[in-house]
Amino acid sequence: MISFLKKDSFSRDACLALLSWVFLIVVFFIIPDPGVHDIIQKVFILGLFALSLNILIGYLGLIAFGHAAFFAAGAYTLGLFLQSDFIKIYNFGSFSIPVAILLSILVSGVLATFIGAICIRLKDIYFSFLTLAFQMVIYSIILALVDITGGDQGLMGGFPKPPFLGIDLSKPFDFYAFTIFISILVILVLRQLIESPFGYGLRMIRDNAERPAALGFNNQNHKLIAFIIAGSIAGLAGSLQALLDVGAYPEWAFWAKSAEPLFMILLGGMNTFLGPLMGALIFEILNDFVTANTKYYGLVLGLVILSFVLGLKQGLLDWMVIKFKESRNKNAQNK
Amino acid sequence: MLKINNLEKSFGGIIATGNVTLELQKQTINAVIGPNGAGKTTLFNLITGKLKPDTGKVFIENKEITNLDETETTQMGIARAFQITNIFPNLTVYESIKLAILSKHNGLNNMWTRFKDHNVNYEADKIMKLAGLTKSKNIISSELSHGDQKLLDIALALCLKPKLLLLDEPTAGMGPEERWKMIDRIKELWKKTKITILFIEHDMDIVFGIAQKIYVLQQGAILAEGRPKDIKKDQKVIKAYLGGGKK
Amino acid sequence: MELVAFLECLTSASCIISQTAGGLKIGMLLFLVASGLTLVFGVLGVINFAHGALYMLGAYFSWQVMNTTGHFGLSVLLGAIGVSIVGLMFERGLLNRVYNAELLIQILLCYSIVLILDDLVMIIWGDEFLSSIGIPEIFQVPPLFVLDAIIPPFHLAIIGLSLLLAIGLWLLMTKTRFGHLVRAAAVNPNMLEALGINTTVIRASVFVLGSFLAGLGGALASSIGSVVSGMGNSILVESFIVTVIGGMGSIGGAFLASIIIGMARSFGAIAMPLFTDGIMFLIMVLVLILRPHGLMGDKK
Repeated sequence: MISFLKKDSFSRDACLALLSWVFLIVVFFIIPDPGVHDIIQKVFILGLFALSLNILIGYLGLIAFGHAAFFAAGAYTLGLFLQSDFIKIYNFGSFSIPVAILLSILVSGVLATFIGAICIRLKDIYFSFLTLAFQMVIYSIILALVDITGGDQGLMGGFPKPPFLGIDLSKPFDFYAFTIFISILVILVLRQLIESPFGYGLRMIRDNAERPAALGFNNQNHKLIAFIIAGSIAGLAGSLQALLDVGAYPEWAFWAKSAEPLFMILLGGMNTFLGPLMGALIFEILNDFVTANTKYYGLVLGLVILSFVLGLKQGLLDWMVIKFKESRNKNAQNK
Repeated sequence: MLKINNLEKSFGGIIATGNVTLELQKQTINAVIGPNGAGKTTLFNLITGKLKPDTGKVFIENKEITNLDETETTQMGIARAFQITNIFPNLTVYESIKLAILSKHNGLNNMWTRFKDHNVNYEADKIMKLAGLTKSKNIISSELSHGDQKLLDIALALCLKPKLLLLDEPTAGMGPEERWKMIDRIKELWKKTKITILFIEHDMDIVFGIAQKIYVLQQGAILAEGRPKDIKKDQKVIKAYLGGGKK
Repeated sequence: MELVAFLECLTSASCIISQTAGGLKIGMLLFLVASGLTLVFGVLGVINFAHGALYMLGAYFSWQVMNTTGHFGLSVLLGAIGVSIVGLMFERGLLNRVYNAELLIQILLCYSIVLILDDLVMIIWGDEFLSSIGIPEIFQVPPLFVLDAIIPPFHLAIIGLSLLLAIGLWLLMTKTRFGHLVRAAAVNPNMLEALGINTTVIRASVFVLGSFLAGLGGALASSIGSVVSGMGNSILVESFIVTVIGGMGSIGGAFLASIIIGMARSFGAIAMPLFTDGIMFLIMVLVLILRPHGLMGDKK
């Protein structure tokens, strides 16, 4: 039992994940406010988006500035698939939603393979600019293919959400429980990835991109795999967002959308695994609170970011972890 | 064991390495000396495949490695430590060494286990002991002293279990006392492992004290080679390198 | 893709001339803004994401001066100078704190300024579109006809002014002591410090110059288009494209790239009206893949 719950073991993380899910289900019933439910599910969707980007930023040290391309790819794939006649012809019937989600992950993963293979050859700001350029090409394509994507209006007309395995996503509770379950599951997998030898390989590249080659290690493969995983998870986040909004919008592929997960990573912290999720929480609460009180959301967000950049100089969770460790060390010394 | 035939490399018309031919004996310590810009580090880059030569060939144990890249030469048994310390600043000593060992065994593609659970303690302990880093096991690399960072760089190279170890100025940036400590460490390491070593060094006393064979490089070419006592007496070397002032 | 329309244009002299003139106008305005961005990157090593916001401020400032004094030249000049002052405050007050910070921190600092300025101008000037300040009276004449192509004289004036500024910038960077110092600061700031030259002043003045160019671009833009919060965002991204294609830090490269982008926009609007932006980004992708350091950038 003790070894089962040992610190940093997969079984302990899995238990924590399950407990968090159950806790959030309980929250749904204790706080019956749909606004709160909405914030929580959005935090997880955006959190997935930010966590996936942090694989590249926090663990690999690559400032990707086109991550929304994969978010949008996932969203449009899901929407287009559910709207298409494909479902009727092949009759996925009740399984069309799981199939659509898997397809979204697949399409954004393939897109990430293609874009990643080219981008990872560049360094620093050149890498950032190439990811940005690719994203804007995709944005332009979405705007140009009016007949398919609805152009600047977005993917309208809605789509069916047939129930599967007794889960009916048109019901608020089912959607809430499902979205959070999938998110927590993926976060658990991501945690495993980051703590695996593969994940430490990423940190090695982040710390020193030159040395690994002299250790007989293939940086580029490692980077590409990380890029594909990050893109796929962003695609999943996009597909969940599309399910929530029953549509997809070209702004999701615009470069400003790529700035959002950067904010979350900054606000929450890039060095602590759940930092970006914390950032998503701050971002959402801020969004909800500020837009309810003033229309000058940008001003407030800008000032908050500015104070983090110049004041705290790190994310909130990173800061808390450091403070916690400091006080623990102090206590240990006092004893 | 390492054989270099007529190796040449120039950058934009400037010869960095000009017709270098040398052969290292197994299990020996060899030094390359020469003034700044003599092409010492370029020679290392050519051996490890970081740079490709214009002409000439490189062999290790009679297998040609001339056109292999950096990653491939490590698989042929060549490892190097760098002039400017080349470590992983945010990882601990133990984590760094573990990563190097896992990398050697292609273990870094593993996503399904925890890095912390990987037990390479025996190998890692041995290497940390060799490098004298056992007490610093859990220190973040960037917080190590300069000398210990250099040792970690060498330790990382040792994780590859190389046949040939290239050390690029292992005592660069150290005070006199630290230098001798480092040299003793390298000597001891060599005695225990009998790895063939080729190192670059500026300090003459150190070179003469530890190397079994010395190559003097000038403007990319080998000016002289031989045992320390022969080099000390070599007129060309005295004139060109020791400046003639020393008697 | 409107292939027929495109081919028709290519076979008509008037269409080619008017599209070329239009492309040059776009390109030269873009050059004004992008040269400031690339200059700042070259010397300060910072990608100034707030450059577009400074451009927007230039438009608002000149609109304000125009509506107060009614003098066109004054409004453009004061617009640019006003932005230079804001730029100086930004560089001294905020940006200099993050010169040694990570790329992400620099980007986020600049971007927070974008968010703040975009809302501030709405608070001050309202969130409606402000109508263009219009072009000066002497240019309010019938357009020129060149082989049936219609060319507004004011566009020629903008092209001419930008060309003059390009030449001035080139002279400044190559022929003056200031230019030599700036270029030396871009390559080796430590050496300059060792020579007793105050690089802080150089950095600040380069940023002021960059801001001036952004402000001037915005002020001129306010004479041919409306003024609105967020108008800097698209010019920012276009300036990125120019900076990358030309080679980051290269002013000559920015000039060449601005013309390429101006033409791509102008002719692209006929060939692929829905994909004009896409063409620019495709060019950017291709340059980054084939020549990451741009057409005229230094390999580092």
